[in-house]
Amino acid sequence: MYKSEKQTIFYVLGLYLSSTLLLIFTLFSSYYLYKLDEREHQEKRVLKDYALVLEEKLLGVHKNSDTRYEYPRFREFQSAIYDIDKNLIFSTLQKMPKNLEQEFFFQGDNVYYIAPLKPYYLGGAYAVIEKKQEPLHIIGDIVIAALLVVLIALVTSFFLVKLVLRPLRSTLHLLDNFIKETTHELNTPITTILTNIETLGSEECDEKSMKKLQRIKTASMTISNLYQDLVYLLLNHQVASQNQTLNLSEIVRQRVHYFLDTANAKKLTLDVTLQDNVLFFADRQKMERLIDNILSNAIKYTNKATTITITLLPSSFVIQDEGNGMSQEEINRIFERYSRFDKTQGGFGIGYSIIKSIVDEYGIRIVIDSEQKKGTKVTLTW
Amino acid sequence: MVKITLLILTLATFMSASSFEENCLKCHSKDFKFAMMMKKYTQNHSSERKIKEAIFDYLKNPSADKSVLPYEYINRFGVKEKTTLDDATLREMIDIYYKMFNIKERIY
Repeated sequence: MYKSEKQTIFYVLGLYLSSTLLLIFTLFSSYYLYKLDEREHQEKRVLKDYALVLEEKLLGVHKNSDTRYEYPRFREFQSAIYDIDKNLIFSTLQKMPKNLEQEFFFQGDNVYYIAPLKPYYLGGAYAVIEKKQEPLHIIGDIVIAALLVVLIALVTSFFLVKLVLRPLRSTLHLLDNFIKETTHELNTPITTILTNIETLGSEECDEKSMKKLQRIKTASMTISNLYQDLVYLLLNHQVASQNQTLNLSEIVRQRVHYFLDTANAKKLTLDVTLQDNVLFFADRQKMERLIDNILSNAIKYTNKATTITITLLPSSFVIQDEGNGMSQEEINRIFERYSRFDKTQGGFGIGYSIIKSIVDEYGIRIVIDSEQKKGTKVTLTW
Repeated sequence: MVKITLLILTLATFMSASSFEENCLKCHSKDFKFAMMMKKYTQNHSSERKIKEAIFDYLKNPSADKSVLPYEYINRFGVKEKTTLDDATLREMIDIYYKMFNIKERIY
């Protein structure tokens, strides 16, 4: 799966999930509020009934007693009566209400209802009814339901993204297959061209033909390089690395030599500083691909008649060109496969994708410093 | 000091009680249903302030509308006469009456 594809999947998933979550949140919070409201109505109804019971009992006590008045008590609820000036007459309440202005309210774990009384039996003009509030056991259910919906949304969105990306995937597969098949067909002609050019000596051609021959050689080497990249990409995961202690100084020297003709064709000066016997434990072919790609990119994108500085130290390798450079955004996207910014140059845009996979494999740190119109500096450290 | 205060308080209570006897019980014999009247006032006026106000108002200007007694009773015996007591004495008597018969302090 490509990085951009993954990113698209994450974006779509994110968008889909966040909108689903928002919807779920709205729906469930409305449901929760509805349930709260429903409970409030229920509590109010019960408390009103209790108030009627109390009023009836107060009437009985008021009418039937003469000297002492036994205040009615109930198991289901507690109560108090206040006179018309809101002075407490008698109370069995566990907690006194803070005010008598609201008809119905919650305070702590209790719910209160204040009922006006008339006639004022035992002097009570207001009855306060208190009871424990009924707990609302729906939060757990809501959370489970929400998780279930999110899970379903997650699975659905995953398949949805797959469905949306299918045309894109098939196009990329087509491109991969095309490159694969083309690569196989390239091997023989390139080898033939290069072998034959090598056999032609200066004694067989005049100077003019020799120049033309040199250009053909450079072009063929570019194709050969591209061929090597493609083979690497196509076989990358099928061939195991054959790691060994390599003399990097030797390899860099050889690769610089290999590109000398190409550099000469662009009138480039190669400023090479190599420390001898820099050793590195890796696969030779992969190291060659790494150096070739950085070097060929530098040659390809630098301006004509400039200098490319190549420095190899015991734990770093630096290639600096004087080309057009890249913007920060381009640097950030450089490791994506098939990404090319300078359309004036040929290529598939796979060079940095290969570089990335190799540096990652060997734990090499790569830093690209680039300034537009000034050049690019690629530093590998290990 | 405490003894003196207690003495004064006891004396005051006796004096008040005796003035209540003189001002109220002279006409209303001891079997007058003071408690029943207090029940009626409490049922109609609720708080101490309102009850005292209502009694004061009635005794100053008695009328059938203001009376807490049943209509049949008023019809038979008529409305009582206006009080001859001055306001301060009347209020004092009402306070004693409320203290003696109020319901609030008899709820348990």
